[in-house]
Formats: sequence, C-alpha cells, structure tokens
Amino acid sequence: MRGPILLATMLIVALTALPVRAVVSVSIFGPGSQQFPIAIVPPKGDAALGQEFARVLSRDLELSGYFRVLDPRTFTEDPQTAGVTADTIDFAGWAAIGAQQLVKGTIESGAGTITLEVRMFDVAERRDVADSGRRLQGSRADLPRMAHRYADQLLAVLTGERGPFDSKIALTSTRGGRLKDVYVYTFDMATPARLTNERSITIAPAWRPDQRGVLFASYREHLPRLFEVDVASRGVVQFSNDSKTYLGGVWSPDGTQVLATREDDGNSDIELLDRWGNVTKRLTDHWAIDVSPAWAPDGQRFVFCSSRSGSPQIYTMPIAASEPVRVSRIGTYNTSPAWSPKGDLIAWATRTGNTFQIVVAGADGSHPRTITGAGSNEDPSWAPDGRYLVFSSSRGGGRTLWLTDRDGRTQKQLTPDGGDDTSPAWSSRSE
Amino acid sequence: MLALCALVALGGACRKKGPSPNENVGESGMGEENLGRGSGSLDRAREGLAPGEGGPLQDVHFDYDSDDLDETARGVLDQNVQWLRDNPRARAELEGHCDSRGTIEYNVALGARRAKAVKDYLTGQGLAGERLSTISYGKELPLCHEETEECWARNRRVHSVVGGQ
Repeated sequence: MRGPILLATMLIVALTALPVRAVVSVSIFGPGSQQFPIAIVPPKGDAALGQEFARVLSRDLELSGYFRVLDPRTFTEDPQTAGVTADTIDFAGWAAIGAQQLVKGTIESGAGTITLEVRMFDVAERRDVADSGRRLQGSRADLPRMAHRYADQLLAVLTGERGPFDSKIALTSTRGGRLKDVYVYTFDMATPARLTNERSITIAPAWRPDQRGVLFASYREHLPRLFEVDVASRGVVQFSNDSKTYLGGVWSPDGTQVLATREDDGNSDIELLDRWGNVTKRLTDHWAIDVSPAWAPDGQRFVFCSSRSGSPQIYTMPIAASEPVRVSRIGTYNTSPAWSPKGDLIAWATRTGNTFQIVVAGADGSHPRTITGAGSNEDPSWAPDGRYLVFSSSRGGGRTLWLTDRDGRTQKQLTPDGGDDTSPAWSSRSE
Repeated sequence: MLALCALVALGGACRKKGPSPNENVGESGMGEENLGRGSGSLDRAREGLAPGEGGPLQDVHFDYDSDDLDETARGVLDQNVQWLRDNPRARAELEGHCDSRGTIEYNVALGARRAKAVKDYLTGQGLAGERLSTISYGKELPLCHEETEECWARNRRVHSVVGGQ
C-alpha cells in the first residue's frame, strides 16, 4: 500500500498560468451524453513508466464517461520520436485517425524520482487546452496516483469539477475462497487487495476521513463488534466495547464521532459514539429494525434504514433531534442509504420483484429516479465529487463492483468476475 | 439488576431499559461464554464446512422479511422444548439466518430478531434463559446459493447449535 509519507512527497504543478477555460459547460453536459474521442500517447522517455501512466489515465477517462479512448494500435507515430509540443505535433495525422483531444508529454526517472510533464491538446485548434498542463513528481510507487491526479484535472478542465479517481474504495470480499475480509481497491488495480485476515465474517467497512484506517464489524470474537484496521500496517484494534454487539459504524466527516448500529437483545438501534468507541447518545430507540446510518456532509444530520413503518424505508434525522422523517415514499423495501458529499442527493437500494436497484433522490426524497436495471444492484456509495457512485452488482453472475454516474447513463464494471465483492465505501479524495 | 444481567449474559447482551447515554465497560466479563463456539455455523465455515442444518433441535423457518413464528414453526419449537426438557444439561445457541435478498446489515438485524423470537418462545414454554444464547449471521452463511423460492425459504431459518451435554 502507498502510505501517507509517499503521498506527502507527490508534487503537482500547473504548467501554464492561463485562465481556466472549460471546454464545455457542465450544465449542458454529463457523463455518457457525449464522448470525446481522445488519444492518450505514452509520455516520451522511460517507455515502461510511460506505458503504465497511459494505461491508468486511459482507464480513468474511459470510466468517466466523458471520453472514448482511442485504441493505441491505430496510432501512426512512434511516441519515442514524435514531437510533444504544439509546433511539432502532427495534428493533421491525429485528426485523420479521429482524435479530437490528444494527451502528450515526457516522463523521466532518476534517483528514485519520476518527473512527468503532460498536456492535453485540442486537435482542431492545434494548441494545448488551458489549464491542462501539469508537471507531476513523485516516487515510482506514486505513478498510478499521478495518472489519477491528472485524470481528475482533465475532468476539472472539461467540466469545472475535479474527477474522483485519486481515491480508494474499501469493500468486503471473499476473493481467494476466503471468508469475508476487508479489501481495498484503487482504479489502477486489476483486483482488490486484501487488508484484513480475520478468519471470520467482516461487514460494513467505512473509511476514517484521513484514509489511514477502515472501521468494520467482525465476528472474530463471536458476536460482532467494531474494529479498525490500519491501512499502512494492517494492524487491527478493537473499537467498540466488549459487552456490546455492533453491526457497523461510520466516521463523521470531521473524524470525531461514529454513527453505529447497535444490536441488543434482538433489537437494533442507532447510537452515536465518540472517537474512542464510547456511547455518547442513543439516536434511535424503537422496537423496529434501525440500521445502516450514513452521515450528511454537514455532520449535523444522518440518513438510515428503519422498518418502523412495517417495511424497510429510508429516514433522515438531525443528530440533535429525536424523531426521524421518512424520505422514501415509493417501494416496499428501501435500504442502504448514502448521502451525497454535495449534500443535495441521497441514494439507496430499492426492491423491485426479486432484485434490488439503485435509486437517486433529493435529500428530502423528492424526484426519486431508478438508475440501474440489469441484475440486482445494492450498496450505493458516493464518489467524493458527488457525480459518480460505486455499487455492488450481480449482473455478471457473482457480485462485482460497478461504477455509474448519478444519472445512470454510463455504467462500467470495476472489479473483475470471480469475487463476491460487496459493501463498497468510496473514500474522500486523497490529499 | 446485576443478577438479571448475569442471567442474560449468555445471550450476549444485557438489556437496558430506555436510553442509556453513559454506558461504559463496567460489565466486562459478561457475555464471554458463548454456547455456539466450536460447533456453530461460522466455526464450520472456518473449517470449510457448510453451515449446520437440523440436528437434535430442528430448524424453524420464516416468511420473507419476517420474524413471526407461524403454526408450523411453533410446532417444531414445541418438539425442541421437549428435547431440551429431556436433556436438562444441554444448552443451545440460536442462530438467526436470512435469505440473500436485502442488504447485509439489515439482514443481520433481521436474523437477530428471528433468534430473539425463538428464544422468547422457548423461555415462554418454561425453559431457563441461561440455557439459551443468540447470534445472527444475517445472509452471510447460507445453506444454498440458488436464487429460487425453495432456496430462499431454506435459508430463512433459526438453527440451534447444541452444547453443554
């Protein structure tokens, strides 16, 4: 894993001081509605590193739904000899193979440091796009993150909003034929990497906001309790008290409190815990099932699932209040809510027949839209930009993680078949 | 109150009345003895075995998203009560399980309600609560994996793991 020390050494510098000029307005343009044909040329210099940068950047841009990445086998020039500046690039040649945008640059490695300079060019205008030039510097291990950072920057140039790809997804999985452990996935990985070795069942992984730990519930001591795994050392410490049973917990956006699902004598309610795992407030006290709390980004409200109406439905409640307000109005079974980091939307899973589908609605439940249809889809988790969601889907047979934009226009498989990948939790942006 | 807690401790929880904002770890030491340890469905999974089904105490089954005990379930439990009376040193851990539909956390909560419903029925028939503990595995340890009515029905169960004989 890349630890916080490496993160601190990564450097990103804008290469131009021109004012930002977005290619299109975000209001008339969403992922999947129009796709720019883009050629991503491996940066000139260290060929192997250049190939890896191009591979990771290509996947991010493909996943974003804004781009159609052209097949490198159609490129007609040698990236190691062709020009990388506006006055030396063969724009007519790139136009001939259908490229509207072109990413080019240089990559050098020495003394354990990689230095990368890249720009995006507009083929028709024969010039580089404003604010697309970046110099990135870091260690060899930082190379995938440099590609993610650059992908996020290109989305900022294009849409005015940074992309979400320099981030991580925690999940539970049975990959390797194991019992369910906590895994972590980044967008450059072929398969998720295992974090815990519980020899037990783990459920409900959730990031600490500083991304150094993942909180989860584990049956390692028989009845489930909360534990936290340190991402760098993989050490696991118990978080909740010995005498209590917890089904999951989520850190507040400021990292000072935890919303947790407590099971006591057959009944589950939502509790507020301090950073050491001690109960500070019982937020719900109802005979029905109350589970799956998620914070609003302001840290003042939360959303959860309750069966108090006779069927599982979605409710929101201020931390300071005592009575929840129901926000799901359609469907007989609504569960696993997630509040957008922008605050304006809530996603959840709704039962339709014998499958579940992802719903996105206003934070008050208004204008609910079902954005998935194929297979059974559960556990939505928002990207840090509030534009995309990750969810678990059965559409490939076993459960895998999928990415969608919030309108459901572009849906792409993230993790490969062969693992029972569930409960994805998308981190905030890496800093 | 402490004595009552000690009785319920085998169930893994000490019920408190109403909101309890200042709970602490003063009850540590309780809930340490778990009847299912060693032969429960998770222990079996660790050994690569399928979850337990049947045994001296029969499984009881539930409707979707329900913890209600129907007539069939009560009939099964009456037989289980008789077996536990005939074997007074036996104890049981009641495992709540669910079918694959619905989210993981919700199903763990639902399985806990199913196990509690069975425990309440057994103690209502006069069995001592300290002979019974509960745990929920939600949909994590299914007996079968098909997405069919038959398989779902088989997975919606409380399985009893017998120990202490």
